[in-house]
Amino acid sequence: MGRSVKLKGLLTMIPAALLCLTACTAAPEKGGADTDKPAESTAADTAVSTAVDFDHELDNYEPARDSYNFYFTYKTVHPWWDAVALGMEDAQRQFLEKGITVTYEYMAPDGASAEDQTRRLLMAENAGYDVIGVDVADEDIISPVLDEMVSKGTKVMTFSSSDAAEGCKRIAYVGNTHNYEDGADLTEALCEKLGYKGKVAILVGSKGAPCHEDRARGAADTIAKYENMQIVATEYDMDSIDLAYELTLKILEDCPDLDGIICCNMSNPVGAARAITEKNSPAVIVGMDHDQEALHYLKDGVIYCLGVQDCYSIGFDTLQIAVKIADGNKPGELFPEKTNEITTVIYQKDAAMMLELLYGDVL
Amino acid sequence: MKKKKRITQKTFVFTAVIGSVLIMAILVVSTLWSSKMTNSATNEAVSAVSEFYLEAMADRRAKTITNLINNNFDQMEKAMAFIADEDIRTQEDLRLSIGRIKSLLSLDRFAVVDSDNVVYTRYTTYTGGSRHSFLAEEKMDERDISTVLMYGSSKRLCLAAPAQGIKLMGKNIKACFVQIDIKEIVDLLAFDDQGRTHFALYSQNGENLSGTELGPYIAEKNLFEAVKGVIPDDEWNSNRDNFSKGIEGSITFTADGAEETLCYVPITGTDWKMAVLIRESVIHDTIRDISEKSMAASRNLIIAILVLVLLFAVILIVEFGVLSYNKLEDEKEKSKNLHTMANTDSMTGVRNKNAYSYIETDLNEKIKNKEIGNLAVIVCDVNGLKLINDTQGHAAGDKLIKDASKMICEYFPHGAVFRIGGDEFTVILKEKGFDTMNETIPEFNRKVEENIKTGDVVISIGYSALKQEDEQLHDVFERADHMMYKRKKELKEMGAPTRPE
Repeated sequence: MGRSVKLKGLLTMIPAALLCLTACTAAPEKGGADTDKPAESTAADTAVSTAVDFDHELDNYEPARDSYNFYFTYKTVHPWWDAVALGMEDAQRQFLEKGITVTYEYMAPDGASAEDQTRRLLMAENAGYDVIGVDVADEDIISPVLDEMVSKGTKVMTFSSSDAAEGCKRIAYVGNTHNYEDGADLTEALCEKLGYKGKVAILVGSKGAPCHEDRARGAADTIAKYENMQIVATEYDMDSIDLAYELTLKILEDCPDLDGIICCNMSNPVGAARAITEKNSPAVIVGMDHDQEALHYLKDGVIYCLGVQDCYSIGFDTLQIAVKIADGNKPGELFPEKTNEITTVIYQKDAAMMLELLYGDVL
Repeated sequence: MKKKKRITQKTFVFTAVIGSVLIMAILVVSTLWSSKMTNSATNEAVSAVSEFYLEAMADRRAKTITNLINNNFDQMEKAMAFIADEDIRTQEDLRLSIGRIKSLLSLDRFAVVDSDNVVYTRYTTYTGGSRHSFLAEEKMDERDISTVLMYGSSKRLCLAAPAQGIKLMGKNIKACFVQIDIKEIVDLLAFDDQGRTHFALYSQNGENLSGTELGPYIAEKNLFEAVKGVIPDDEWNSNRDNFSKGIEGSITFTADGAEETLCYVPITGTDWKMAVLIRESVIHDTIRDISEKSMAASRNLIIAILVLVLLFAVILIVEFGVLSYNKLEDEKEKSKNLHTMANTDSMTGVRNKNAYSYIETDLNEKIKNKEIGNLAVIVCDVNGLKLINDTQGHAAGDKLIKDASKMICEYFPHGAVFRIGGDEFTVILKEKGFDTMNETIPEFNRKVEENIKTGDVVISIGYSALKQEDEQLHDVFERADHMMYKRKKELKEMGAPTRPE
């Protein structure tokens, strides 16, 4: 399992890496998004078709029991985690077909909150679940809680976008392990597009959320490499599109000659694109994830590129590994301590195909 | 006077053949004309029929979906009543209850939602505020039908209904819902019409929801993307408006050389459209196949009838010919018999006075025209007929005549023998008969003289050959007759029987 996930990740990273490499060599031009950017059509097709893998099958592992009950909690109610849920449901159906009943709760607050997450974890700890999975809202607050739970014998794993802090005793992590690199890659694409000069803003998601913070750090570090690039603002939208929109309007008001916006979560690019469109700003947007509205903005050239994560695989692998953990297995031959799920950067020419793939919607 | 034209057998056959050919030509031409007219009428009908047919099919399928929706809503009401009656205290109780609902009411993917937008399904519990559009509002008052197009999952129809007054595990239940996989709806709608028609479900913007191919050209593509540039812009815009306003309509276009017609109708309660497409060539081909089969059958029937008619005509002609021939032969035979009877002496079998008259007329003409060479006439008179008749009776007299005739025929086999009176015979000699008369006549006379002694038949003969100055046969006959009388006297003197004085 671990090997196959790694190998699959490696193989699917190749076209993505090629795509980014091609993007880096294209002639940069300030202003609105290009329509002829950067990957060859065959590479683009490959990028889209490998970005999300919907074709999963359970591996050969034979579960020790015929029923399992899990508890998963994630940062906030949000379509990104709904996509993860679909992968989990697929795995649950496949287990059921094998005669194994997997039940689970998949819960989140309406707004990201480490305190709320702590409360949920402590409640779940006492409810006798086979495995508790968590998408860490704030690694500094949540990691000690997880350590305490593990020390009491609770089987804990982390999943989706955010792992716990380094050294946490959680059993395994299934999800994106390269958030910093994702932030850096997107920012590199933006810098290239802007000709390595200009004023940019960084929109982040929830404060303390490792994935968002890592991407923001990757973005800031990349900007720092170029002396003519300047970060004029860094704001947190708390995973709210409306807040992202308002923050972007304010940034544009403060800095009317803004050249670009780096968006670190799923709601950032949607809010930013709405504001950019409203203000008719030439600012170039790079961002994360597969929001349907964001993909439409990408198709229309308002957003320059998006980093799409394979949420479906994350969800599928999470449930499959949870069963193995429930059976008392440890990372090793059966599953890795950290999976390496992929992120694929897509551009305008990929948008229609991605919309069709994810939502069956082109127009 | 104009000569009356006779109808011969040849004329009859010619008329029959021409008549048959004409009838055949008329039949063939009328069949071809009828076929052409049928095809033309078919073409006109196809367009009208295809639209009518498609509209009916689309309507029927749309109603099937509407019924499915209504049926599911009814089942959901029952499901909520079932849950309300259950003693549900824990999440596990609720999951088991939902499992029973699945078995009892055949409601797949049935779920309930509490006031915190937590969704309870048979196996999972999840926060669904961002996942289900009908949960966007804090309170739900009406039924909601929506299409689930989510992150690559199978497309589904989501039917949600508000739930009022139900409390589970200390929480108010806000709603319940089911999700029906569109593939299952497609299975429900599909029927085997041997690929003649195609159908697909579309969203308001023309996206294919059913994953079914709407014909080979549009296939699974967005409907409006597919027909853009294929139909006029105003028509394209009009159909887009129809889609967004939920109005039914139709589109006809030609793609890859084939004309295709599709009809779409809105599906009540949803923002879906049901579209059904048929290639008009399919209707054409089907009707053409039927027509061709029918026409081939008619053609074969006509050919069979024609062949039969011809066969009968030929048989009739042949029979008629044979009949006519037989009749003619009979007539000839009859005529010949009559002629024979009219010219033959019934007692002796030699030709009679009538035949002699014909011959005489004919020979007179030839004599007059100097067309005849050697010719002689022998006049014979049977001696003693009166005596025999009077003394021995007529039967003996008749026998005498017959014996005389026989003797004359025997001695003059190459001559034409006529009985021209009761006891008078005439022999006309030509060619061989004439050439041998110088031998036969003396022999005949010697025999007669012997017969006087034996009491057999005695015949007095006189003869004469045709002379240059003779104008008619009678001239020859006169000389022969004169000689016969002389001979008669000689034979009398020799003792030949004569009539009594």
